[in-house]
Formats: sequence, structure tokens, C-alpha cells
Amino acid sequence: MKLLTRTSRSYIYISVMVFIISGFIIFNMLHNIFKRQLDETLNEEKLLIEQTINYSDSVPDFRLVFGHMIDVTILNSPQKKAGYIRDTLMYDSELGTFASFRHLFSENTSISNKGYTINIYKPLRDSEKLITEIVISLSLVFTSLLLLLVLVNYFIARRVWVPFYRILHHLSNYEINQAVPLELAKTDIYEFNLLSQALEKMSKKIRLDYLNLKEFNENAAHELQTPLAIIKTKLELLIQKENLDESQLKLLSAVFEATTRMSKLNQGLLLISKIENNQFLQTEKIDLSKILDKTIDHFGEMINHRGIAVFKNYQHPAFLVMNPVLAEILITNLVSNAIRHNILNGRIELNVQQDTFTIANTGIIMKTDPRDLFQRFRKSENNPDSVGLGLSIVQKIANLYQLKVDYQHHAGFHTLKISSMRLIP
Amino acid sequence: MKILLIEDEKELSGSILEYLQKENYLCEAVPDFEHALEKINLYQYDCIVVDINLPDGNGLNLIRVLKEIKSETGIIIISARNSLDDKITGLEIGADDYLTKPFHLPELNARIKSIIRRRSFGGVNEIVFNDLRVLPEQMEVTVSGQSLILTKKEYDLLVFFLSNKDRILTRESIAEHLWGDEMDMADSFDFIYTHIKNLRKKIMEKGGEDYIKTVYGMGYKFTDQ
Repeated sequence: MKLLTRTSRSYIYISVMVFIISGFIIFNMLHNIFKRQLDETLNEEKLLIEQTINYSDSVPDFRLVFGHMIDVTILNSPQKKAGYIRDTLMYDSELGTFASFRHLFSENTSISNKGYTINIYKPLRDSEKLITEIVISLSLVFTSLLLLLVLVNYFIARRVWVPFYRILHHLSNYEINQAVPLELAKTDIYEFNLLSQALEKMSKKIRLDYLNLKEFNENAAHELQTPLAIIKTKLELLIQKENLDESQLKLLSAVFEATTRMSKLNQGLLLISKIENNQFLQTEKIDLSKILDKTIDHFGEMINHRGIAVFKNYQHPAFLVMNPVLAEILITNLVSNAIRHNILNGRIELNVQQDTFTIANTGIIMKTDPRDLFQRFRKSENNPDSVGLGLSIVQKIANLYQLKVDYQHHAGFHTLKISSMRLIP
Repeated sequence: MKILLIEDEKELSGSILEYLQKENYLCEAVPDFEHALEKINLYQYDCIVVDINLPDGNGLNLIRVLKEIKSETGIIIISARNSLDDKITGLEIGADDYLTKPFHLPELNARIKSIIRRRSFGGVNEIVFNDLRVLPEQMEVTVSGQSLILTKKEYDLLVFFLSNKDRILTRESIAEHLWGDEMDMADSFDFIYTHIKNLRKKIMEKGGEDYIKTVYGMGYKFTDQ
């Protein structure tokens, strides 16, 4: 949920609640006021009637005077003084239906010792109408006020948060391996400036650490090259010595293999840091199907040896604009990966479309989390001897050219998909 | 055969010399640009192996000098920089081959031999080993006069063996020779074995001897001893 939506929504919720509660209170208050007023008039009328009865000892026709229902009944026996006022439902001849009335009942005894009862009915409809009108106009005022407030709040918030979104946009576009450190524009809001400063400081530190680490990696890999080359050549000379027995050869073989692996690893790391440093500048237009055919051909004997069937489906000519060396490494890694992790008599399916390319191979299910697949040194449990840099290199090359690499496992096929290839006519 | 090695790393240079000396080459090694310049101006070599990154200059300039004096020398560049630019420039200005460090000694040896073979116009441009005869230009192999039909990889393998006869070739160096360094080693070992088995079978079918000896845990050796 967006910040603005969230605040606006809470604003509306709270306002509506306050509105309902206050509306209820206002309604009740008005209701009570009107009732009290009505009761006062009823009592006044009652007093007037009583006074008249006491004065003239007769019952006048009040109906004409007050214009509503008054009923005075003379009783023969004296009555105790009693009475009440309450709401009642009665047939309203004016409306033609039952309606609410305020009813005053009073018992009293006149001077001539005759008891009488007074019943006065006053319709509530007028006051109810008034209350409804008041409530309606109040809610109209309130609703428009609420709308206005929400709108004003929305627009103010939108303006106020603009620098925040700018910072956010800047941040999400920033990559730590970019050539320049993160720089955020100044805003006129103190808190956002603080935020920018904190972010800049943090990213500067991270960037510095990153650069140091990268430099160390590069130097380490580079400096290891020569000693490794020396070890390898000396071992090769040692192997040629005539008087080695089998156990010595066995030892040498293990050392040699380990050295070769280390050397491969080192080359892989060097390649990655070269890619990261963007040292492959020269680009060419590369025909994807051509380079695929070449690579498949290169591994042809290996493919035959394993009984793997290759299915090519080049639906559309596709071109990549990239460094030819990197293109070759990318495709070679993908193809050799598809061979290496294949099963005996398996399949490889190549699918080239205008802007996507997939390579799928049969293979046993991996235990590795697909998300970890592109990490360095992630090795298949079936091939513990591999160096584990292949897919990491693929990812690095893809990143360099804004290509997307996805892995999928479906129906026994491991599929790697390279997408968002730039369209070239 | 005279070979000049220009390499600043003393140990590496020593190893290369030791390996090549067994081939009855006359090998000289210099550690820097200046000495190399002196040598190439004074003497004639059949092959020059030059490192690009020298402490006092760029090896590529040595190649330019060689071309200026119209030297017929074969040139192999060895460089730690796996850079396409260097490779292209090097080959453009007249180098014959390019090897990236670290390389296997048998690989360098095979490349030197191939260059020397190609350059020996008029001379015997063929490899003979007992009853085996290889004509590199036609890519033809005969066993006691009978022609042998080999696949490209089997042929490459045989030439590699013949260039390094009586030496142990590790499986790693064979794999790298046949498929380049992008091949993951572990996969290719049993594959190499199949190729060697086939090659052996084909030679023996034509009445040839089995020259390929397996060296336990290590690799193979092509020898008649």
C-alpha cells in the first residue's frame, strides 16, 4: 500500500467514525431538547386546563383552542392527583397512518369534588422532521468538509513526499559497482536531507569496502597466476623423470590435478573480475544460431560419446551485440553445462527466438536451490570435481549486456532462458 | 634447431628450457627486451617464444623488429593476459601462434614443432615414427604404407603424441590440447580414454605396434621403448 493511500485511508476511516458517533450524539441531544420542549408545552396546556376547570368548574372545548387532540373526561368520584408523559403510537388522521405522539395523562379532582382525567396528544412528526433536516444538513456540511480535508491532505502529502520518492528512485537505480559514488539531490526538507546524508555516507562506506575487496580479489588472482604456472611446469618436468615408481606417480597425479583445478579457478575468477571491470569493450554483432552451431560442433564428439540428441529450433534469426570473446564464453558455458549435467542418451533442446534463447537439457533433479545456481562455487552434487564458476560467469556476462537469465525445471528438463535480448534488424 | 625464449620469470623460463632441451634443440633464454633485441639482431633462430609483458618493454615490439629485418623466424607469443586485442595484434603483425599462460609444456613443444615443420620449406615436412608416417599438410597418416582413416580429434591426438614422444602426457594437457581450456577436466578423462582406445585400435588394425602406454593415474606415453 502506498504511503499516501495509507494516510488518506486512515484519515477517512477516523473521520467517518467520528462523524457517525458525533452524529448519533447530536441526534440524541436534539431529540431530547425537542421532547423537553414538547413536554413543557404539554404541561402548560395541562395547567391551563386545570386552571380553567378549577375556575369555571366546567370543561371547555380545548380542541378549538390548541388545534390538537385533547380529551378531558369528567369522573364522578374524586381522583388522586397523578399523571405521566410518554411516547405512544396512534392513528394520525392527517397522515392516514399510525405515527408517534407525545401523550400526557393526568388525573385530578376539581373543586366540586369531581374527578377528571386529561389526555393530551401532540404529534411528534414536526419535531422529527426538523431533526431529520438538521441532521441532513449537518452531514452535508461535514461530508464536504471531510472531502476537502482529505483532498488537501492528499495534495500536501504528495508534494511533501516528492523528494522522498526522488531519493528512492535514485537509490534503486544505483549500483555499488558504478563508477561514481552515490549522490542525492538536496531537498528543502530537513529530515529528507538527513536521510540523504545517511544514505550517502553508508553507500560510500559500502562502495569503498567493495572496491577494496574487488581490488584484493583481482590482485590475488593475478598474483597467483605466476606461482601457479611455475608449480605446473615444474610438476610437468618432475613427471618426466624416469625413476618414479607408481606410488610417487600417484602422489604427483593428485598434486597435478589439484594444481590444475586451482589454475582453472583462478582463471575463472580473473575472468569474472575482468567482466566486472568492463575490460571487454569491443563489441560485434553476433549471430546466435551460428555461434550455437559452432559450439555444438566443437563439443560434437562429447555429445555423441554420451549419446545425447541435440534438437535445434531456430525460429527466428537472433543477434547479440556483445564482445565476441564473451559471447563465445557465454555460449560455451551454457552448452558444456547442458552436456555435463545431462544423462546418458539424454536430450539438449536449443530454442532461438527473436528476443529469447533457451537451452534445455535432460538431467536428474538438483538438490540445490535454483536461486543459488548462479552463485560462485555452487557445484552440482553429481560433479564435485567441477570448479563451480560456469553459471556465475554466465550471469556476469548476461548482466553486462542487460540480459536476463532464468532457470526452470519442468518435466525432467533443466532450462536456462536468456531473455530481453536487444532486437537488431 | 635454434630457439630463443624471451621470458622474465626465471623459474618458468628454466622449466621451458629444461623441457625443450630434451628435444635436441639449441635453446637460449633471455629475461628482458634489451637482451632479446641484441640476440635477434645478432643471430638467426628457427623459432622465438616471446612473452608480451617484459619488464623493459612490450614483446609485441620485438615482433615488429623481427618483421622489419625480414626475419624468417617462427614466432609464438606467450602471455598471461588472455586478451583478444593482444592476440589479434600479435597475429596481425606476424606472430604464428599465441599461447595463454599458464600452458602445458607439451603444448608449447607441439606448437613449436608445428611451426618449425611449417617453416622448413624444402625440408622434410612430415613426421615419422617407426612405421608411422604423418603428412601434416595433407593431414594424412599411414601405417607401414597403409593409409589410416582418423577423425579430426584422433589425428590431433596422434600429432600431439608424436610431438611429445617418450614423454608422459597428462590427461589434463591432452584434454586442453583437444578441446581448449573451457572443458571441465573431470568430464573429459573417460572421453580421452575412448579416443585413445580408438586410436590404438585403428593403428593396430593396420598392423602397427601399440605405442601408447598408460601411465597409472597420470596419463599416457607414446613410446617404442
